[in-house]
Amino acid sequence: MKMFQALGRMPIVLTAPALAVLLVVFGIPIILLFLTSLSAPAFSLANYEAFFGQPAKIRVLLQTVEISVVATAICLFIGYPTAYLIVAASKYLRMALIVLVIVPYLSSGLVQTYAWTVIIGDRGMINNLLLDHGIISSPLPLIYNRMAVYIGMVHIMLPMIILPLVSVMMGIDKSLMAAARSMGARPFAAFWRVFFPLSMPGVRSGSLLVFVICLGFYITPAALGGLGDAMLSTIMASQVQTYFDTGRVAAEAFVLLAVAIIVLSMLGLDLSVTQGRTAQRAGKSWVSWLPSSGGQKRYRSELIAPLRAKRWTAQLYRAAGDGCWSNVVGAMLLMVVMFYLLFPGLLVVVMSFSAGKFLTFPPLGLSLQWYRSFFGNPSWYAAAWTSIQIGAMVAILSTMVGTLAAYGLSRTFPRLRRILTMVILTPICFPVIVVGIATYLGLVKLGLLGSMTGVILAHTIGAIGYVVVIVSGTLANFDRRLEQAAKSLRASPWKAFMRVTLPLIRPGIVGGAVFAFLHSFDELVITSLVAGFSVRTLPLKMWEDIRHHTDPTIAAVSVLLMVLPVFCLIVLHVVGWRSGPSSQRALSDHRT
Amino acid sequence: MSFSINRRRFIQSTSAIAAGAMACNVGRAVAQSSGELKVALNGGDYGNACIQVYVKPFEAETGIKVTPITDGVTPAALELMVSTNTVSVDVIPVDPDTDARVPETGYLEKIDYSLYKKDELDAILDFTRSPYSVGSIVYAYCMVYSTERFPADKPRPASWSEFWDVSKYPGVRTLCAEVPPLEEALLADGVPADAIYPMNIDRAFASLDKIKPHIRKWWRSGSEIEQLMQDKVVDLAQSFDGGANALIDNGAPLEINWNQAKLTWESWAIPKGSPNVRNAQRFIEFITRADRQAAFAQIMPYGPANRNAYKHLPEALQRKLASHPDHVASSIATNPKWYAEVGSDGLANAERIRQRWNEWILQ
Repeated sequence: MKMFQALGRMPIVLTAPALAVLLVVFGIPIILLFLTSLSAPAFSLANYEAFFGQPAKIRVLLQTVEISVVATAICLFIGYPTAYLIVAASKYLRMALIVLVIVPYLSSGLVQTYAWTVIIGDRGMINNLLLDHGIISSPLPLIYNRMAVYIGMVHIMLPMIILPLVSVMMGIDKSLMAAARSMGARPFAAFWRVFFPLSMPGVRSGSLLVFVICLGFYITPAALGGLGDAMLSTIMASQVQTYFDTGRVAAEAFVLLAVAIIVLSMLGLDLSVTQGRTAQRAGKSWVSWLPSSGGQKRYRSELIAPLRAKRWTAQLYRAAGDGCWSNVVGAMLLMVVMFYLLFPGLLVVVMSFSAGKFLTFPPLGLSLQWYRSFFGNPSWYAAAWTSIQIGAMVAILSTMVGTLAAYGLSRTFPRLRRILTMVILTPICFPVIVVGIATYLGLVKLGLLGSMTGVILAHTIGAIGYVVVIVSGTLANFDRRLEQAAKSLRASPWKAFMRVTLPLIRPGIVGGAVFAFLHSFDELVITSLVAGFSVRTLPLKMWEDIRHHTDPTIAAVSVLLMVLPVFCLIVLHVVGWRSGPSSQRALSDHRT
Repeated sequence: MSFSINRRRFIQSTSAIAAGAMACNVGRAVAQSSGELKVALNGGDYGNACIQVYVKPFEAETGIKVTPITDGVTPAALELMVSTNTVSVDVIPVDPDTDARVPETGYLEKIDYSLYKKDELDAILDFTRSPYSVGSIVYAYCMVYSTERFPADKPRPASWSEFWDVSKYPGVRTLCAEVPPLEEALLADGVPADAIYPMNIDRAFASLDKIKPHIRKWWRSGSEIEQLMQDKVVDLAQSFDGGANALIDNGAPLEINWNQAKLTWESWAIPKGSPNVRNAQRFIEFITRADRQAAFAQIMPYGPANRNAYKHLPEALQRKLASHPDHVASSIATNPKWYAEVGSDGLANAERIRQRWNEWILQ
């Protein structure tokens, strides 16, 4: 009991578990790597001079930032309305849409990339269609340029921005907008002055995740882009393959980290910034709209009537644009986005039934040979099972320490919060190969190299970042007064957290857990280093022979992976997400 | 998705947090005992073929228990294992560049050539043999053209200067971006095959400038070039011979031009500090014998580094392989020693080229 009270006074302590894991597995080695990049013990800037002495490296660095910023902006531009429409949908449709958004994220990136060449390639569907109808005489250069890179990157990153947005938007009390509307605000004004500011934490955490992950992209730009569309990781990957020099690679990683910090601090790294402040701002803005405080009271009293609130909520979406027009536009937008997200996956499904020896579209014949090759080979399904186990452990571990850390961060001074957020994000900001090297060195010290535990820890350090970002987004909108109210009614801090805070931020926690699982399930580069040839995960199995030949079994595996989340997420939603908004509504009723 | 839900394994793995450190130490202790060997064999069909024709017969002959790993080992992984004294694998496949850097890095054990029979050793192509590794397969970056675009009764590109000649041989072209095609650029510019090394880097890039606007796609992996040819996106390609052969066997209208192919190879080596060096030496000697290499080539059509293997191979297969004497005669072998040479500015040639390449691709 006392401990919890102490924690209440010193919330920063809650970040201790996350920081401890980071420090032991990753922090100490990264400091050692920093010393290596400075050529310790001689200490010189030779590695950094070597980097900045190459104009090409600087240009690629700038290009990396440029591509990441543009991709993030496109993601936000498409993702925000999509998330809005998803949240506005009925409960079951919403669940289905969320699952559909995540599905493409699970199929192998390599197969998805190939699917894009099937769509926009020189001999792809679009070009063939146009050629067959005589509209063009030679294929349009739709692929192998910057545009294709954006198409591919946004396709992969869109779920990453939609999910945090959805989890924040679900926490926004819809009756606030109804209130604004009922008080004469126009639909757009109600959205812009009430809903949008409240959704900012989601915008911030989603864009942050997307931007940071985009920085490390290399397969998609290499496969869909032209020769010049290289990103820093593309160049680093070929460097690591041919001429490996730890000091040089580490120096480049620290330069990239520095750039990431600069860009992030410009975008606003403080994920919890809206807490309190926006509420005030939003409050002020609509207070000023009111004719009188008497009127405010009158309308507020009406909010208590749940039936009326519900009708307004329903009205709100119909009236968000202009009645039935907005419905049509919204539905069409959703359909277009879903088509964009799912169509490549659909091609993968078709290709997985191919009878040929190569990935082809359209398939030459139908067969189940690649499914047989998966289920007939223990090394495939054993790898899948290993990955699921590791993913589950990573999700549990990182969700626990990540949620605590996010909670602690939301209660501390902004400056400290910014610094610690950056520290926690380092493992996702860094080029993955450098994270791999650092983790390897860390696990050697712990004697956990090549063990399941080692791989779990290696994945956890990255997964914590996802959890912290997404949970922080949800926490930013959380009204602390609710917790204080609970405490004033003699709830212990623990009870207040469990009964008030936790249910309200559950969408964020579930979202964080999903991404923690996916991060682990997808991880290749770090695993290949720290698995010590004893732990075989599914990505390792999928990528083991990619150097020479694409085994179409990965198309079958991708399809199985796309089916898996439909089961998993339905379970998760039934357990977790469902109670989010309803309890929020119940509480908001109490508040008034 | 269906998988065997094995309760015991799940419990094992979840309790591993507590027992992890112990488990790892136990693992190492076992690996150190004699009569064991852990070998990395590359992935996919390649690794499976290795298990079939290398691992199983070796176990039968020696009684040594071999744990095969169907994966490769990157230079980064090798460096980490050796520098932290955590070598967990005894035999690995290495590329020529890694081998050529060993005098500087010290990452590989010396090969014990006293174990080899003289006629076997003499038959192993000399450029694939080094103090630290023994060649396993020879493969090539060669020119591949579409027989639909270039039918037999029309002129076909036969050299890199003809590949560079876009007006006489029109068609969609692709080159490799992962390993810059400098040798090809020099040959296209008229440099004789025996004068490529030491390389005139400026001249190579000047030649690349000429072909750059005509390259539709610069590919980065074997699977990528395979798909480009499979989907008939390109008419004229620089490709690995293995990928092209697989497509041709599958009926694709392609043909390999072996003239001026760039030969490279893969070797077997032992990481410094391997727990089972003696067994590893025996394993490498065993799998580089002519009969083993022939058995391998019959499953995976890659050129055996041991020329005696050709005595066991059918003529039709021999013609497909990069190490066939006729192909070796008309090809150039890459020179990893030159790439590893460090110049007066402290940069190895490989690094110098990499930096120049990075600038060139952005131009």
